[in-house]
Amino acid sequence: DQNGVEIKKFKRFESYKRDNQFPPKVRDMGIVVDQKNATVVLPVMGRPVPFHINTIKNASKSDEGEWSFLRINFLSPGQGVGRKDDQPFEDASAHFVRSLTFRSTDGDRYTEIANQISNLKRESVKKEQEKKDMED
Amino acid sequence: MAAIENFDNIYLDLSKEGGKCRFAESGLGWKPTTGGEPFTLQGSDISGAQWSRAAKGYEIKILLRNSNIVQLDGFQQEDFERLTKLFKNWYSATLENKEHSLRGWNWGKAEFGKAELTFNVQNRPAFEIPYSEISNTNLAGRNEIAVEFGKGKKASAGKDQMVEMRFYIPGTTTRKEAEGGDA
Repeated sequence: DQNGVEIKKFKRFESYKRDNQFPPKVRDMGIVVDQKNATVVLPVMGRPVPFHINTIKNASKSDEGEWSFLRINFLSPGQGVGRKDDQPFEDASAHFVRSLTFRSTDGDRYTEIANQISNLKRESVKKEQEKKDMED
Repeated sequence: MAAIENFDNIYLDLSKEGGKCRFAESGLGWKPTTGGEPFTLQGSDISGAQWSRAAKGYEIKILLRNSNIVQLDGFQQEDFERLTKLFKNWYSATLENKEHSLRGWNWGKAEFGKAELTFNVQNRPAFEIPYSEISNTNLAGRNEIAVEFGKGKKASAGKDQMVEMRFYIPGTTTRKEAEGGDA
């Protein structure tokens, strides 16, 4: 800006334009990592709900007895990670989904999904950085 | 218009098994393909209906006069016209086309309706949570509300069971609001 301070701008993104773009696998009402569209589709009460990788902070798997848990954390204001409120938000006064936790008895699958989400996040951050470097 | 309209491979309230759905002037019925107890609904109990994309195909969400909700998933896109006519002529109800948000955003507005919480992204629903599925809610931190799901039918219908969802609600949020007590 005018004061020479870099202002992080919020860049708009979109998972899908039409509902026929959902991966066919959403039929099974399970978590689907859609690499092509940089989106994780989560089943909420049976409905496939897309979350763009840009909204996701991280995903982690844990175990408790016979159950495995997959927790997906989303970016939201006031999390104070690194520099406080570093992340730009389009509308910080909105309501945010901050996390979603699922459970299953198939722990290997959750390990796999957590890895896929981490990789997708890493790739997306890398791409953003490359774009930024090009602009500079 | 026929006196009876049939649809196959329809899923009732996220049932694991598909079934046959039959509409008549007096009401509708659903029966699992492999047999078993049929589910029936009187036409006079229907207060509204919504059409939207769901997991198996297209879904009709029927809103009942007693605030309950019935979901039928697995219709084809081209069934819409036939079903719109049928709901209008037989149940005097409008089958409202409700497009869901596909943007992939995690911010919007949580709104509390009669039977469910709707999370809207740019004035389009992204998802809904029936109050009947919520087992507990608590303030997990400043501006953070945790909603827990028990062994509700819909939360645990798929292979991935949703156990908790946390919301960030800025500003002053009362517990009452979080539980839909004002609705």
